[in-house]
Amino acid sequence: MSEFAIQAHDLVKVFRARWSGREVRAVDGISFTVEPGTTFGLLGPNGAGKTTCVKTLLSAVHPTSGHATVFGHDSRDMAARLPIGYLPENHRFPTYFTGAGMLDLYGSLSGMDSAARRRRIPELLELVGLEKWGDVRLGKYSKGMLQRVGLAQAILHEPRLLILDEPTDGVDPVGRIHIREILQGLEAKGTTIFINSHQLAEVEIFCRDVAILHKGKVALAGRVKDLTGNRGWRLVAAGVPEPLRAELAGDAPGPEGTVRFAFPDLAAANAALDRLRAAGAVIHSLTETTSTLEEVFVRTVKPQERTAA
Amino acid sequence: MIVTQTLALIRDTFHEAMARKIFWGLFGLSTAIILFFLLLLRIDVVEGGVATMSLFGYQSQRGMDVERMVRGVHGSIATFLYSFGLFLALFASSGLVPSLLEPGRIELLLSKPVARWHLLLGRYLGNVLIVLATSTWLVGGVWLILGIKTGIWTPQFLLAIFTTLFLFCVLLSVVFLMGVLFESAALATMVPVALMLISPILAQERTVVKLLSSETARTVWHTLYQMLPKVFDIGRTTLQLVRREPVESWDPFFTSALFGVAVLTVAVWRFERRDF
Repeated sequence: MSEFAIQAHDLVKVFRARWSGREVRAVDGISFTVEPGTTFGLLGPNGAGKTTCVKTLLSAVHPTSGHATVFGHDSRDMAARLPIGYLPENHRFPTYFTGAGMLDLYGSLSGMDSAARRRRIPELLELVGLEKWGDVRLGKYSKGMLQRVGLAQAILHEPRLLILDEPTDGVDPVGRIHIREILQGLEAKGTTIFINSHQLAEVEIFCRDVAILHKGKVALAGRVKDLTGNRGWRLVAAGVPEPLRAELAGDAPGPEGTVRFAFPDLAAANAALDRLRAAGAVIHSLTETTSTLEEVFVRTVKPQERTAA
Repeated sequence: MIVTQTLALIRDTFHEAMARKIFWGLFGLSTAIILFFLLLLRIDVVEGGVATMSLFGYQSQRGMDVERMVRGVHGSIATFLYSFGLFLALFASSGLVPSLLEPGRIELLLSKPVARWHLLLGRYLGNVLIVLATSTWLVGGVWLILGIKTGIWTPQFLLAIFTTLFLFCVLLSVVFLMGVLFESAALATMVPVALMLISPILAQERTVVKLLSSETARTVWHTLYQMLPKVFDIGRTTLQLVRREPVESWDPFFTSALFGVAVLTVAVWRFERRDF
């Protein structure tokens, strides 16, 4: 039995057009693991293979080669889907159901007995702030409300693994915070959360690990903290002699005569600091700089696009 | 768990079918026919014959054999159900598979611990039960009202429910195959209706074979007749059953059942292999 919540091993998915026979390699040898009880973000530009990857985990797409496991079960086995709660992107819930009716349907399909459904449905409607909307048909729900009832559907059967495709899509900022709080509560209870999203800022706040897909491959993977942390050091000083500024590749002097320098590591920053002090410059600050996940994402995806071009 | 899931799939199909107005149309039409016999048709029976019969308040004395009249009504209802009712039921069912396969819906269903064959057959079963309920409502209602008004109880009329349902099951397998292959409600209606229309022509095999000069043409005709569902023949058998006449042959039921099972198997096989 695997100890991972998800383990993808060399997943490949090639789609073939029915008539022309043209092939599209949507997923091209993806391997990654998700530890139980962690939060994982799957990122990538449009067409990177994220959705195909998620659908392979859910067995909605059959891999051309490779395999994936969910808590040790082959993703193609029904047992692999028992511990999964899923919220699809662009979901289309049956609008002829009320909110409570829809939850009852998907709860039944998840294998919940009627007593458990009766207990959990009001709880979940309250949790997502829709307790007064349970008897209203989904056709009358706003997009944000559908997203919230969709989240309730995904967590109704208390899954060990929650797979969310753009969970805050169409939700207002207050609603986003609410959803984040719900997810944080689930994380605290040990639920593994796998998010496929374009909202890099949210993934950065919420996820411990990420994988960036590009053109069907894993372009970068690791802990968010490691990927975004310690990009370098920034030193700001005034009264810097021009030859030294040029030698240390400082920016042009600012309005108050301050100059900004960037160094790849602390040793280089200290060496420069000593020389600046010796030259009579006044040190304003020395700070560690970090990247945002967005910067990491762009740095990862852009060079590959340039190479491809 | 499998029972809970099956019931959920049936319930989903019922809700969706009810959301489609056409099933209400079929149900409403059946109710109108039942109300017609209940409220407007008054029959006085004297010694096995119709003494007076009134329709919309107009009285007529026919002196006709009451049993013959009841059989005639039963035959008409069975024909109506078997032709127009079946067409409406197929038309109403045609969208039920494409809607199941809509992006954003099918992925969620497939993410549940339900086998794909179970998903498809659960919907199939739900669809069959809806038509069973509607046919039972129409045939059972008319049978009950005529029975009470005339004292003639012919349970053979109730067999029309099952023969119609049987043929619906056969043609529904075509609806499901078209839905799985092409996700098109239009094709899912056209193909089974074409099979309904072509059946009376193919059924003239004995006559047509004599007219065909080519052996190949005769073989093709015979093969088509044997392979495709025998809508016309089963319709004739239904009338024979309702009228308590001897049934010529049960073969059309067996060959049609084989066709239905084969087509449904292909639909399930294709559904199992598809990517969504």
